[in-house]
Amino acid sequence: MTRYLSIFCLVFLALLALLGPTPLGLKDGPQAPPYSKPDWLDRSIASTVILRVSSDGGSSSEASPEASSTAALTWNYVAPLRVALTGRLDGGALRWTTPEGEFSLADASGSAALDLDARDIPFKRSLGIKPFDNMPSVLFPSRGEYRLSLLGSGDVAMKIEGGRWGWLGTDQRGRDVATLFVRGIRISLIVGITATLIATLLGLSLGLVSGYAGGFTDALIMRTVDVLLSIPTLPILMVLAGIWGKGLWNLVLILSIFSWMGTARTVRALTLTLRDAPWVDGLRALGAKRNYILFRHLVPEALPLLLANVALGVPGAILAEAGLAFLGLSDPRLPSWGRMLHEAHTFGSFTNGAWWTILPPGLGISLICLIFMDVGRKLEERADPRLKQEIN
Amino acid sequence: MNALIKRVAGSLVVLVVVLVLNFFLFRVMPGDPLTGVMDPRFSPEAKQQLAVQWGLDKPLTEQFLVYIREMLSFRFGLSMMTGIPVWDELKSRVPNTVALLLPALLLSAALGLWLGVKAALKRGSKVERLVLLSGAVSFSFPSFFVQLLLLLCFAYVWPIFPLRGTSSIPPPEGPAALLDYLWHLTLPLFSLVILSFGGWALYIRNMMVKALGEDYVLMARARGLPHRRVVWNHAFRSILPPVLTIFLLSLPGVVSGAVITETVFSLHGAGRFLLEATNSHDYPSAGAAFFLLALLTVFCNLLADLIYVLVDPRVRRESAR
Repeated sequence: MTRYLSIFCLVFLALLALLGPTPLGLKDGPQAPPYSKPDWLDRSIASTVILRVSSDGGSSSEASPEASSTAALTWNYVAPLRVALTGRLDGGALRWTTPEGEFSLADASGSAALDLDARDIPFKRSLGIKPFDNMPSVLFPSRGEYRLSLLGSGDVAMKIEGGRWGWLGTDQRGRDVATLFVRGIRISLIVGITATLIATLLGLSLGLVSGYAGGFTDALIMRTVDVLLSIPTLPILMVLAGIWGKGLWNLVLILSIFSWMGTARTVRALTLTLRDAPWVDGLRALGAKRNYILFRHLVPEALPLLLANVALGVPGAILAEAGLAFLGLSDPRLPSWGRMLHEAHTFGSFTNGAWWTILPPGLGISLICLIFMDVGRKLEERADPRLKQEIN
Repeated sequence: MNALIKRVAGSLVVLVVVLVLNFFLFRVMPGDPLTGVMDPRFSPEAKQQLAVQWGLDKPLTEQFLVYIREMLSFRFGLSMMTGIPVWDELKSRVPNTVALLLPALLLSAALGLWLGVKAALKRGSKVERLVLLSGAVSFSFPSFFVQLLLLLCFAYVWPIFPLRGTSSIPPPEGPAALLDYLWHLTLPLFSLVILSFGGWALYIRNMMVKALGEDYVLMARARGLPHRRVVWNHAFRSILPPVLTIFLLSLPGVVSGAVITETVFSLHGAGRFLLEATNSHDYPSAGAAFFLLALLTVFCNLLADLIYVLVDPRVRRESAR
């Protein structure tokens, strides 16, 4: 069981990435006030609630005096931060019953769209509240039972915003951190895996050519490897991201250009030892063509090692992508984990003590890297059983 | 001598590649470098004047020669954002970067070395478990995440360190200024050490375990040499050259890390300068910062190469010939 733990985790994350946040009931876009705490954190403050009342539009012609729809709420907190009404009213009224009195929030004889915010002064005046009074505290005077009832027909949602939201709270724009977290898995996996695959293919082909051809080609490729290895990578990645644009595939391309060197070295070393092996000599003596030897014999020989190389290279690519995104060099529309940390850092998570915007993406990156390293090490042991005894 | 010349030549090649990349990335890639400073309402004459001011009207080959000459003499021209000479800006920033990176590098290498050797000597001990854990942390935790956590803990929840900056505002006078500077540098330095000693310790532990199992170590023990001598003069001495090689190869990563560390802690350093310049398409500044970071790397590489020659008797004998 524990042997395959990392594989299970990886499958689970991949599944989450494939499904996205929608099946989990998580929504995109602003949901609650900025920096709402996670729901389970602080029970003493109100959670963000949406009260919904609606009637079937069919029999609305004869508006009954009774409420056609009622939503009830037990309120145990101080006044909420904000109250807003949205929806549609087709003749009828909207009534708000508090323990200390009753308000008629809206009244429409004909059909009317509703978009009211408790901060609107006309709305306050229509309820007889002074313009500078805090309307949420007037609407929520004390603890107890509240009722929103719709007389007539329509479909109205009342959003009562408190300081708590969802599993992981909200960020500086009121977006659900859990949604962003699930979206981030996809970006990390796509970038990590594709960049490493491209880099490995590059490294494989260049390493094979370098090792098999030898001479000038070999020297050229190996010197390029040396030079690329001694250039500080992050600055050049930054400059390239700044120049080439910040899209997802640009990042993948940039990352793969600067991470094929290790693979090329490994493959070259392997090719060099195999090139002069007796069985390759035998193949040559039998008249095998160069391409045949390369693709039917040398590539399969290198494959198990490469597989481990891919898994071990993914954390590097994921960390590099996260680093670039953290520096603000990624597309703002891509909700990646690095981007989340960037926004937490620049938009003042610290002054709000909003650790829930920092921990989930950071732990996510670390977890995914640990998983890939573990998988890579297992694959490496498969490819070369001697390693098993060596490490422990 | 031969090996030495080869290494110096190698560094020069890297430097040339960096110079060429630096030039072509900024000038040949799509996007006119002037669009950043220009308002679209500028007249063609004004545009022409700007081009002349930055030498962009000349043919590319001539620009390249001028650029090489200016880079090598450290005249980086004027910043496109502020109009201040880039070198003046950098002069105030590079010392901060060095003051952060050098102690961090030395401290983490020393700590990693000590813990690594200790872990290799006592297999299965708590020290070894610590080394394995910190190694995993340093390879899989993003540096900025750890630094953000440290900031959250030691600058917000328990505010004993400053949240940002290289010095207080306004900066104190006299000896207090130095203390203030060190106070601001402590948390970044600490975070860098925490992040990188694990990798060192893990690497040195793995190599030491192998070296301690060699026959010559057994032989040294059989000869009755003291434990200390066997460990340090026989086992550790033999892994010193590869350790230095890894030290050499880790330098580019350390320099890259400066960008992130300086961004997280809002330090006034060369790395953040590069980020700001890149974000604002200030090409002379970004080019100069990139060049300096690369130069630092190349210089450190060369230094490590020279030390390598001193440490490995085989290379020394070969180069004496």
